[in-house]
Amino acid sequence: MKSKKLSFKLNGQKVSVDVSPDTLLVDLLRDGLRLTGTKVGCREGECGACTVLLDGDPVNSCILPVFKVAGRSVTTIEGLSTEEGELDEIQYAFMTEGAVQCGFCTPGMIMIAKALLDKNPEPQETEIRQAISGVLCRCTGYRKIVQAVKTASQHRKSAQ
Amino acid sequence: MNKKTEDKRKVKVLTKEKLDLEQLIQAPKLAPSVAGQSLVRTDALLKVKGSLMYGADYPQEGFLHGKILRSPHPHALIKSINIEKAKMLPGVMAVLTAKDVPGRNGFGAIIPDQPVICGDKVRYVGDGVALVAADNEKTAQEALKLIEVDYEPLPAIFDPRDALKEDAPKIHGKGNLLSYNKLRKGDMEKGFSEADVIIERTYQVPFLEHAYLEPDISMAIPRPDGTMLVEGPMQAPFTVRRNLAAVLGVPVNKVEARQIQMGGGFGGKEDSPIDLGCRAAVLANHTGCPVRITLEREEVTLQTAKRHPMIMEVKLGAKRDGTLVAFEGVIYDEQGAYASLGPLIPPAGGSHIHSMVMMPGPYEIPHVKVDAYLCYTNHPFGGAMRGFGAPQVHIAHEQIMDELAEELDINPIDIRRKNAFKLGSMTATGQVLDQSVGLLETVEACAENFNWDQRYRQTGYIDRQRTKRKGVGIGMGWYRTSIGISADGCGANVYVHEDGSVLLFSGITEMGQGSFTVLPQICAEELGVLFEDVRLVQPDTDIVPESGPTVGSRSTTLMGNAIILAAREVKRSILETASEMLLVPIERLRARKRRIYDTINPTRSLEFREVAARCMAQGKRLIGQGWWAPPPSSLDPETGQGNPYFVYTYSTHMAEVVVDVETGQVEVTDYVAAFDVGKAINPMAVEGQIEGGVAMGLGYALMEEVALEDGYIQNLNLQDYLIPTSLDVPDIKPVILEVENKFGPYGAKGIGEMPNIPATPAILNAIANACGGRVRTLPADPEKVFWAIREAGGPPDN
Repeated sequence: MKSKKLSFKLNGQKVSVDVSPDTLLVDLLRDGLRLTGTKVGCREGECGACTVLLDGDPVNSCILPVFKVAGRSVTTIEGLSTEEGELDEIQYAFMTEGAVQCGFCTPGMIMIAKALLDKNPEPQETEIRQAISGVLCRCTGYRKIVQAVKTASQHRKSAQ
Repeated sequence: MNKKTEDKRKVKVLTKEKLDLEQLIQAPKLAPSVAGQSLVRTDALLKVKGSLMYGADYPQEGFLHGKILRSPHPHALIKSINIEKAKMLPGVMAVLTAKDVPGRNGFGAIIPDQPVICGDKVRYVGDGVALVAADNEKTAQEALKLIEVDYEPLPAIFDPRDALKEDAPKIHGKGNLLSYNKLRKGDMEKGFSEADVIIERTYQVPFLEHAYLEPDISMAIPRPDGTMLVEGPMQAPFTVRRNLAAVLGVPVNKVEARQIQMGGGFGGKEDSPIDLGCRAAVLANHTGCPVRITLEREEVTLQTAKRHPMIMEVKLGAKRDGTLVAFEGVIYDEQGAYASLGPLIPPAGGSHIHSMVMMPGPYEIPHVKVDAYLCYTNHPFGGAMRGFGAPQVHIAHEQIMDELAEELDINPIDIRRKNAFKLGSMTATGQVLDQSVGLLETVEACAENFNWDQRYRQTGYIDRQRTKRKGVGIGMGWYRTSIGISADGCGANVYVHEDGSVLLFSGITEMGQGSFTVLPQICAEELGVLFEDVRLVQPDTDIVPESGPTVGSRSTTLMGNAIILAAREVKRSILETASEMLLVPIERLRARKRRIYDTINPTRSLEFREVAARCMAQGKRLIGQGWWAPPPSSLDPETGQGNPYFVYTYSTHMAEVVVDVETGQVEVTDYVAAFDVGKAINPMAVEGQIEGGVAMGLGYALMEEVALEDGYIQNLNLQDYLIPTSLDVPDIKPVILEVENKFGPYGAKGIGEMPNIPATPAILNAIANACGGRVRTLPADPEKVFWAIREAGGPPDN
């Protein structure tokens, strides 16, 4: 398919690329833009390792045709910490609560947690479990991930 | 290891409350020692930033893309193969068939019975028939379609019992019985004649998929000096290297296997990197170019090893008071198409023998007989998966224990208390457990945290509509540390530099379990430096000493000991030099937190780095090498008697479930799991293993099954092969107990696999307790639970 010009906002920066319309967002991110923090686990929108935020909502980038993001704002795991390397509260909590094991689901899990906390700053445990159920983790049993989201929520609150 | 406490059994319950964030970050500086602290993982920062490079994240420039043409038949002869059209496709650099394999056309973790490229026949749907390398993935994919293969389908076998029939088609030319093992203890006739009650049951479990989230990848890079580098996620770099050398027909020292951090392994990445590595290397060797093979999720499910399915027949006899007197078991263990990690061929101990040893459970039983048949079939093959043959047999012994308890009208916890291993117990293989046996402690700690005594009596309907019933279940377990039975050992190197910084060389790989954090903790503890002073070198067979595979819950214990021995070699130089510098006798010196000090007068001290610099200046040795092998193991082939493993981890799990008697839907609502781990080097990492292992065991109980029809997998992707989500898994409460292992570093035993094992039967027992229906053929999905309730006479009245 012939390449077309695509413009969107990526991690706060305007980007403009020539890309074939049959490209999926995850391939543009990983291969075209070398942002490999977003992972591919199943290519059918099931495992959630490819989760990124589109205008703040979590989406599976492995099944999203790239032109769906035209003119919109995409946030990936690389956009979460500041340029100086300062971590987001969620990233920090995932580290300290032991919510990371193999780490392959971690970027997707952190993105889906961010989408939740941005909308619902103090979620109940059931709300957390509901929200993160779109990302599979085979290592942790989810307990420390749920705890990390709770901790991040508390830290965000006390930082205000 | 520690003489003072060798004969003193020490039990300590660690607090379940977490340290607060500040303490966690400060822990390395404030803590009295490094080993035993819940330190944050060394790789956590890169992982939360998304900047840790997995195999698929490496740039693809300069690589050819390799693809595998797979058999569409479960069993067929290859009559002819035509690759001419595929070779002509622009962009295709190589199309290889069996004759192009330069060395041995076979690989395998134990027996090299799996062809790199099948020549005369295929044995499962997914077998590799041809290999293609092209300058891009799409072209490689196109080329596969242009290869013409003429097959002659053969009758196929899909049940291990059929495989044993005399007229069964021979999958490997010889008989289909790959291994027959037996265990004999006592006198069965006498045993069952002493029993007041005898019950017989059959349990069946399906193939299971590891479902690690990172699909497999391998990169093979040929170098001008004739060496081959293979990189990728791998649990067993030394096994990969050994296989690659044979397949390429070169000496072992011409192959370098380098581990890239893994997105999960669970035993699955013990096998698959051999397979992919050999195939990528054959293409790379042929083309002279680097070749990269990546698998899509469907290919992972199609091609790679699974957990062995089994049919288990059990007969258990007991006295009226619950005392076990005789156990008889038969295992039909389905190996599938290739031997993988199934059989026992010294120096490798296969999963099959492990199933046999574990089958009678962690109970004292005077008379035991087990017959275990491992059979080839035309299904995908069984390999290692978190528990290596133990999860299956635990499902049998833990369920029959409950069925016996019910028959005798005894509380399931009491029948276990009565028969469970304690210090001095003799196992079914005749092994006397003379140290580190904390099983009964785990029962009591678990019962207390779960409040078993009260909750066991409170089962029944929980809603006014009388559709939902609550129940509780118990599962007990034991698991080895190490490969055991035959050879096993680990090597480590420790280099101290003139500035006091340390490099640690170990071949133990990281798949998420936390070894890259726990091993440096042990090194720092032994040297007396800070955790952050130690950098662990990425495992690479050219660089690190032989360490064996990262399997068998062996890493912390075996490698931990090797590291301690290596560190002590360097420490000797450090302490001798410090003794000269301080004019204090060496036996009065201690190394701790970067300081060497006089224990009588602690103000007399030196910085670790000053002493290291002096050693360097004086030409003293700052390189240490350690090798540790467990005490010898044994197992008589005729009787199955001996000491197959040198130490065991013990565990008790308790689950609460709610069963909807109208739909068969099961929800696990509460969970406590207690473990005797010897010593938790990093309690937070141990908890992580427990919580994740239980979740995996829950999947085995309720939803997971590689669905096969006539040899074809029906659920290739994660949309159809279901694993537990955050909504399926309850808030698991881990309880860590420490009954010192005298052979372990600081008393530690393995924990990686144990948590997975008793979880499945604990949940199955809870379902039976809740609704009276028992599912003996897994998984206990809603349909099976629904019918189990009806078979037991329908939903209970009260």
